[in-house]
Amino acid sequence: MVFSGIPFLFFFLPVFLILYYLIPFKFKNAVLLAFSLLFYAWGEPVYILLMLLSSFVDYLDGLILEKFADRKNIRRLSFILALVINISILCFFKYADLAVETVNALFHLKVKAPGIALPIGISFYTFQTVSYSIDVYRGQVKAEKNYFSYLTYVSMFPQLIAGPIVRFSTVQKDLHQRRMNESCFVHGFKRFCLGLFRKVLIANQIGELWDIIRSAQSRSIAASWLGILCFTLQLYYDFSAYSDMAIGLGEALGFHFPENFIYPLSATSITDFWRRWHVSLSGWFRDYVYIPLGGNRKGVLKHLRNMFAVWFLTGLWHGASWNYVIWGLYHGLLLTLEKYFWGKWLDKRSAFFKHIYTLLIVVVGFGIFTFEDLHELAAYFPGLIGIGNAAVSASDSLWYLGNYLPVVIFAIVFAFPVWPKIVKSMEEGNRYRQKLAGICEVLLMTALFVLCVAALVKDVYNPFLYFRF
Amino acid sequence: MEEKRVTISDRVSVYLICGMILVFTAAFFLNGKQEFSESENRYLAALPEFSFKHLAEGKFTEELEKYVTDHFPERESFLNIVSEAGRLSGRKQIDDIYLCEDKTLIQAYGKPKNVEKDVRQFSKLCDAVENAKVYLMLVPTAVTINSDKLPKGAVTQYSQSDTIATIYESMAGKAECIPVQQTLEQMKPEGQLYYRTDHHWTTFGAYIAYEEYCRAAGYEPLSLSDYTAESVSTGFQGTLYSKLSDTYFGADEIVSYTYPDWDLSVTYEDSGEVSDTPYAAEYLDKKDKYSYFLNNIHPLITIENRNAAEGAVAVIKDSYANCFVPFLLAHYRTVYVFDTRYYKGGPSQFINEHEDIKDVLILYNMNTLDNDAGIGGIY
Repeated sequence: MVFSGIPFLFFFLPVFLILYYLIPFKFKNAVLLAFSLLFYAWGEPVYILLMLLSSFVDYLDGLILEKFADRKNIRRLSFILALVINISILCFFKYADLAVETVNALFHLKVKAPGIALPIGISFYTFQTVSYSIDVYRGQVKAEKNYFSYLTYVSMFPQLIAGPIVRFSTVQKDLHQRRMNESCFVHGFKRFCLGLFRKVLIANQIGELWDIIRSAQSRSIAASWLGILCFTLQLYYDFSAYSDMAIGLGEALGFHFPENFIYPLSATSITDFWRRWHVSLSGWFRDYVYIPLGGNRKGVLKHLRNMFAVWFLTGLWHGASWNYVIWGLYHGLLLTLEKYFWGKWLDKRSAFFKHIYTLLIVVVGFGIFTFEDLHELAAYFPGLIGIGNAAVSASDSLWYLGNYLPVVIFAIVFAFPVWPKIVKSMEEGNRYRQKLAGICEVLLMTALFVLCVAALVKDVYNPFLYFRF
Repeated sequence: MEEKRVTISDRVSVYLICGMILVFTAAFFLNGKQEFSESENRYLAALPEFSFKHLAEGKFTEELEKYVTDHFPERESFLNIVSEAGRLSGRKQIDDIYLCEDKTLIQAYGKPKNVEKDVRQFSKLCDAVENAKVYLMLVPTAVTINSDKLPKGAVTQYSQSDTIATIYESMAGKAECIPVQQTLEQMKPEGQLYYRTDHHWTTFGAYIAYEEYCRAAGYEPLSLSDYTAESVSTGFQGTLYSKLSDTYFGADEIVSYTYPDWDLSVTYEDSGEVSDTPYAAEYLDKKDKYSYFLNNIHPLITIENRNAAEGAVAVIKDSYANCFVPFLLAHYRTVYVFDTRYYKGGPSQFINEHEDIKDVLILYNMNTLDNDAGIGGIY
């Protein structure tokens, strides 16, 4: 099931919320767990077993790690076993096909690919359970004694299939004792709605435009650039909206999930971009891969190696296709260059220059990210500099843009931290201004909700981008 | 953790939205369910039957989702909101429909994928037909003929004229190919050739093409003024209208032409029904008003005009021919109309068995030719 759909909004969510709020606290986790399993099983009735297995392994590992606190060998064995099992499951279900196809291509073989459908959310929940094992092993978090509590953490439907990647330490307290009140609900639900609007009214629209441009027979240079800009906006709005919905729902249920997107497109360098884009993922790689490998403290060569490893894996995490790896390494390379070559120089440039520099790199990067088919990638990119079957005049881009102008403008403007500024200026205004703002808010929220439902009822274009992740 | 500030307007909007959700959920269960959507002209998803197999495959839940979305309360109003919001936000193209001047809707021409198959099937028929001459008429649609009406700067990806040229070139020598684009373009000032809200041509458009057919087949076309014209409906909201369901676009007029000297017997071979007119007035009260012409879908219709001379023609066609066929009645005693989606066994055998058939006309429009399910039945 996805959040942005009639079944979730009008059936799953109201039934769940009513039950969840009515039931006494000690049963709340049980309701949450039951609905989370239903939520997952709805789209993946068979693969739910995989999630149960994966989380059970780490739960067990956690118990063993604590029980044998002073038996180093047992601890190590159990820990490594848990890691191997989890990573193997992930590799097999996500990368087996890619591995076979790559070997085939390299050695001109014709081994049949196993053709495994990717279990939704596997990359997210595997990273969560693995982080738990590592944290318990390091003694940074106490093992969870109750399997159902642990399973509630892993399977919690708000963040199950598209993040944020919540660490156990973040929600451990909330799992057993959380404060829930009306203002949490209102605030969380509002955040959920805003996320929903961003997904349905911005991401889906811009995605439609990207699809049109992508499938065009020929494109002008301008249209080619507009295309990958649109994909960038689509991915940002889609992904961050999903995080918004997750964080909002979590809040309404009494959980506090970490922020995941902090206006990444307004970053002033690639280094800055990665502090803002999918924060829970880059934090994961930092804490569990980069720093254990020695980070940048063991000399330049090792640092380069570590960068390569982290960005290779970051790329690969996004999907079983080599374009993601290219995209990851591209970002790794630019981060390295910023660190060793032009970072200091860049600091002194004007804000405008830094925005353009960052956006250009990010947009081209997502241009690589979007084409899983490397042939299509190779056919599209020359169009960016006018090589290949590019249309001569740029009138096509005007047509595309004209059709989607309001939403493109909204998308660009609100990718920068404009909204908080508007809210702040309204709150600081005089009483009449506040009243006016309040009325506008109510009208806007209800109107957008109606539009949203209308778009979902029509349901022409409502893709789920992370099913590759 | 610090308490976040929640304002009255936050509360009001959140509870309003929650209220809307509950109202619609309740309405969904209380409302009666429609099986068929008149305005969209399609069957809505049915409640899926439960089976463990479907459940395991994820099919059951998928169909349940479709059911829920298809039967959502006020569904048509919501569809209307989407189109209207799109139009008001400046959209000039929604899905594959251009929103043109004068509230005209024009369907875009998609990538032709089945050109070779079309040629192969047409050729099969030409080879199989023994004693009759085969004519081929591919009709460009509004996107080509009325391209001047398209919104300014509209990107049109593929050209119908190119596809027609390709097919005509391959068919040269096998069938007589009748070009109609130029004449249709010339006749634009004389009247409306295509409906504003439907993908079909008007009866007037069909008449222009009929003149071209006569020129190719050696007949003297009757003048349109010889016919009795009658406006049979002014409330025709066609297929393009239905895709948007935006009342802004209004409705079309359907004009029907009857010849005073017709003495017809129209036999629908599948149902055995016999009528004295090629028109079915009962459809004028329904949504699908174009079915007024030739009574919607039948595998084979035999029309006999007892006041006409000898000879017969077989028409192999899509729905564009439905308003075209009546004009042929002036020149043939019998007109056989095939719908190869449903007519089994291929028309060529039938044609060879009926010696009165002198001419065979293949008539398709360019927008649906590529996906026409009947092409495979032409041989």
